[in-house]
Amino acid sequence: MNGFLEYVPGDSLLHRLNPVTKIVFAVLFAITCFCTSNIFFLCGMLICGIIMAASCQMLRPVLGLMKAVLAFSVILAVLLLLTSPSGDVLVELPWGYIGTGSIMAAVTTIVRLEAAAIPLFLTFYVTKMTDLSNSVVKVLHVPYKYAFTFASTVHFIPVFMNDMKSIMEAQTARGVEFDQGGIVNKIRLMVPLCVPLLVSSVRKTNSAAIAAEVRGFNLRTRESGYKQYPFSAVDLVVMLIAVALLVAVILVP
Amino acid sequence: MIQIDDLTFRYRESEHPVVEGITLDIPDGCFVGITGAAGSGKSTLTYAMNGIIPHCYPGDFYGSVTIDGMDTCDVSLTDISQVVGSVCQDIDSQIVTSIVEDEVLYGLENFGVPHDQIEERVTEALQSMGIEDLRHRVIASLSGGQKQKIAIASVLALHPKVLMLDEPTAELDPASSRAVFQLLSRYAWEHGTTVVVVEQKIALLSEFADMLVIVDGGTIRFADEPRAVLAHSEELLKLGVNCPRSTTLMNRLAGVGLYEGPVCCDVQEATSALMEVIA
Repeated sequence: MNGFLEYVPGDSLLHRLNPVTKIVFAVLFAITCFCTSNIFFLCGMLICGIIMAASCQMLRPVLGLMKAVLAFSVILAVLLLLTSPSGDVLVELPWGYIGTGSIMAAVTTIVRLEAAAIPLFLTFYVTKMTDLSNSVVKVLHVPYKYAFTFASTVHFIPVFMNDMKSIMEAQTARGVEFDQGGIVNKIRLMVPLCVPLLVSSVRKTNSAAIAAEVRGFNLRTRESGYKQYPFSAVDLVVMLIAVALLVAVILVP
Repeated sequence: MIQIDDLTFRYRESEHPVVEGITLDIPDGCFVGITGAAGSGKSTLTYAMNGIIPHCYPGDFYGSVTIDGMDTCDVSLTDISQVVGSVCQDIDSQIVTSIVEDEVLYGLENFGVPHDQIEERVTEALQSMGIEDLRHRVIASLSGGQKQKIAIASVLALHPKVLMLDEPTAELDPASSRAVFQLLSRYAWEHGTTVVVVEQKIALLSEFADMLVIVDGGTIRFADEPRAVLAHSEELLKLGVNCPRSTTLMNRLAGVGLYEGPVCCDVQEATSALMEVIA
């Protein structure tokens, strides 16, 4: 069972791309999504994202991710719906109205967020975290400290989620009813658990820092990485596609 | 290789010193086992020997610890770690990457091992822990015991002069624990490495170690070759250290004058000694 943002081994085209290509493509793709409000174009981007996910057998985790993004973007969409009166009047509100334009804006937001998120998340599923951080240090000259901080954060998410789960299980075994009542009850019961979780995570982070230091963290330079990340023709093509998409949405209104 | 001279250390947040007046000399190439009851100061003692104290935990440090000629207070933790390779107790937080191969590579890259030697070192380290087949696996999917072997391999790859392990077999079953000790002692013998192991399984220590150190209440009670230490099984029991049962039995027999030979470390020795007594 794979955890959140955890690398899934594979041999698809996306797996084999240069890590830098993947992250640059994902970022440009996301920027492109935010530069346009053309719903047809955004839908096209969304479909592209899903096809990419399917091409590396990541459809299932990506669909899970889409559900999570949907929950978040629906909140934004509802806000937009209520606060951006435009188009033909559909429902009168005390402070304005909901119009066809508002619905369009809401739908666009949902599609845009979904489309922008997929390649970013996909990057983590098809790239080893070490490769990602080593290559951005080597190629993009990102200071190693930042790359390591980011990599460790992602590395520790499943560890902490595991900790939370075991604390909750321990409490359930002692009669705390996490499975009773709704989400509000669950959250109410979870709040006091944040203290032990925080204590154990501070302790873990501290020993991780020591462990990294005794293995020469401070000596690491840009040249330290053993693996090389050469760019191939395919990488170049992928980068060009990303740039072309961005240029297209900027030039074509 | 390691000289500890009248070491006393108190963590900033505790009232009393955790280790007090410790003097210990570990010769080059020695296999040292440290044991003692929980909270006796074993781990603190290893922290003092790999530089984590005084560099990472603040507190009052008296006395001196010298490793390979360096006073640990004068040099940085990074300098010490080029001589001493450490495997900590908490394996999960020690692992910094997601793939076995990358984990072994990490230290090698950092310490600037020439790139043409790296492949050889990685293979050698994985082989010496018997985990070549795990090389491309995702670490999160492995068992606790396998992770422990990976953590040891990633330190072995650095070819440290001193190897410091804090309960390296905590998550292993008896057979694999023994296998790890066999691998360690063979590696140490081949490379002339000094090994310091904190371990609860005293039977393993008495079999593999050249020197057995018993820590109690922050001080060293015994530091001698295993047989000499095990001769005091009654006292060890009072300190919360369980000797192998065969040793305790033979010591009791010796106590009532039924047995006069040397201290027995394992069941085989005890059996043959008993056979002689009965005959």
